[in-house]
Amino acid sequence: MSALFGTAVAVEAGKARASRVMLSITVILVAGVAALASGMLFGVASGDEQLLAKLGPLARAGGWAGLVGVVAQITSAGGLLAFGVALSWLFGREFADGTVGGLFALPVRRSTIALAKLTVFLAWAVGVAVLLTTIVAVLGLAFGYGATDAAGTVELVRIPVLVVLTALIAVPAAWVATLGRGLLPGIAATVVLLVLAQVMAVIGVGAWVPVVAPALWAIDPGAVPAASLAIVPSVPLVFGALCALAWSRLQLDR
Amino acid sequence: MTASAASVAPVAPRLDARRLVREFPGGAGVHDVDLAVAPGEIHAIVGLNGAGKTTLMRLALGMLRPQSGTVRIDGVEIADAPASLWARVGQLVEHPLAYAELDGRSNLIVAARLHGIDRRAAGDLVDRAIAEFDLARYASVRASRLSLGNRQRIGLAAALQHDPTLIMLDEPTNALDPSGVILLRESLLRRAGAGAGILVSSHHLDEVARIADRITVINAGRVVGALDPAGIDLERAFFTMLHADDRERDAA
Repeated sequence: MSALFGTAVAVEAGKARASRVMLSITVILVAGVAALASGMLFGVASGDEQLLAKLGPLARAGGWAGLVGVVAQITSAGGLLAFGVALSWLFGREFADGTVGGLFALPVRRSTIALAKLTVFLAWAVGVAVLLTTIVAVLGLAFGYGATDAAGTVELVRIPVLVVLTALIAVPAAWVATLGRGLLPGIAATVVLLVLAQVMAVIGVGAWVPVVAPALWAIDPGAVPAASLAIVPSVPLVFGALCALAWSRLQLDR
Repeated sequence: MTASAASVAPVAPRLDARRLVREFPGGAGVHDVDLAVAPGEIHAIVGLNGAGKTTLMRLALGMLRPQSGTVRIDGVEIADAPASLWARVGQLVEHPLAYAELDGRSNLIVAARLHGIDRRAAGDLVDRAIAEFDLARYASVRASRLSLGNRQRIGLAAALQHDPTLIMLDEPTNALDPSGVILLRESLLRRAGAGAGILVSSHHLDEVARIADRITVINAGRVVGALDPAGIDLERAFFTMLHADDRERDAA
C-alpha cells in the first residue's frame, strides 16, 4: 500500500508539475494578492480618504500588521477561490478528459489515487504559502517596515497559517467535483463555500464553524480562539475520507 | 471450461463472466450475458452501436457493478482481486490514458507506474513500447498536440506495454491509420501466442476475422450467437443473426 501510495503521489505530482493549470493558479494568486496589497498600501500612503475609510482599523494599524491584515483579507477570499479551482481541476479533469477509465483495473486503488491528489494539493498549498509569505516580506521591506516596524515582523507568521487553513477548507470542492463528474460542480461548491465563509465572517459569526474560522480570523484575529483554528483540519479529514470513498465506489454509469 | 481454480483443474479462464446483468433506465444495458476468454485466446465481441459491448467490458473491468452475476479473472472474483492480479490486466475502453499535458513518453511512464512497474524498470519497458508501437516521433510531443490516432496509439501502448495476461480493448482500431492497425494486430497475436487472453470489441468484421479465435455477436444487450472467423461472408451471417434476434424479440 505505501509503495503504491508513493507511486500515486509521484504520478499525480508529475501531472501537476507538467500542467500549466497549477502554475497559472499560483501566479494569478500570488501576483494578484501582491498587486492588490501594494495598491492599497500606496493608497494609504497617499492619504486617499475613501480607501482609508474602507480599510478602517487596518489603515490605522499600519506597518506589518496593516500589510498582513490587507493580505489576509484578500487571501481568505481569493485563496479559497484559487484552491477550490485547483482541486476541481485535479479531480474533475479525469472526468472531463475521459482519463478516469484508465484509472480502473489497476494495482493502485482509486481511493489511493484520490488521497495522492489531495497530498499533492496540500504540498502545493504549502509551497504557495511560502511563496506568498516571501513576497509579502519583500513588499514590507520595500515599504520600509524593516526599519520602522521591526517588532511587527512577527505578524508575517499569520500569512502561511491562513494560506494553509484556507487550502484545507477548500477540500469539499474535490468531493463535489467527483460526485458531479467534472470541474464545474467543484467550482460551484467553491463559490458556495466562499460566499458562506465571507458573509458569516463579515457579520462576525462562525468562529467555531471550520469553513468560516479562517476568513473571520483574517478580518479579526482576536475574534477567533486558537482552538477553533485547530479544528479546521476536520474539514479535509471528513471530506478527504468522503473523496476516497467516492473514488473507491466510483462507477462509469453516466 | 469450468470456473473452478483448483490445482487439479485446467487453468482457469483469463476472464469468466457469468450471468451478468446491468440494466439502465429505458431498458438498455446487458441482460444475462456469459462470456469467457481462455489463455492464448482472442475473443472478439461484435455488435452494432449501443448493443452493449462497452457496458460488458466495463462490467468485466469493475467500471460498473453488475446488478447480478459474477466476473472472475484467473479464477478470482474481481471484487476480491488483489493488486497483483490487476497488475496483469491491460485495458483501453473508450478514452486512451493520455494526459494532454504530458508527452508520449511521460504518459507511458505514468501508465507503467500505475500498473505497478517500479521506477527503474519503467524506463526500459517504455523504451520497448515506443519501439514496438513506432512512437519515437511522438515520445517528446505533448499528447494535446497529437492526432486522435496517435493518442490512441499511446493509449494502446499504455495498455499493453506491461505484458498483461488479460487484455480488454474496446474498439481499439478507432482512429488508427492502416500501419497502426497492423502494429496492433501483430502485437495482439504475439501476446496471445505468449498466453494472454484477449477480449476485443469491434464493428469491423473483416478486421476481427483476421485475428479472432472466436467471435460472439451481441445484440440489445444479449449474446445472440457466434460467427466462424474462417467463415465466408461474415457480414451476411452477422446481419441474418441480428435480424432473426430482432424479429424474435418483437414477437415476444
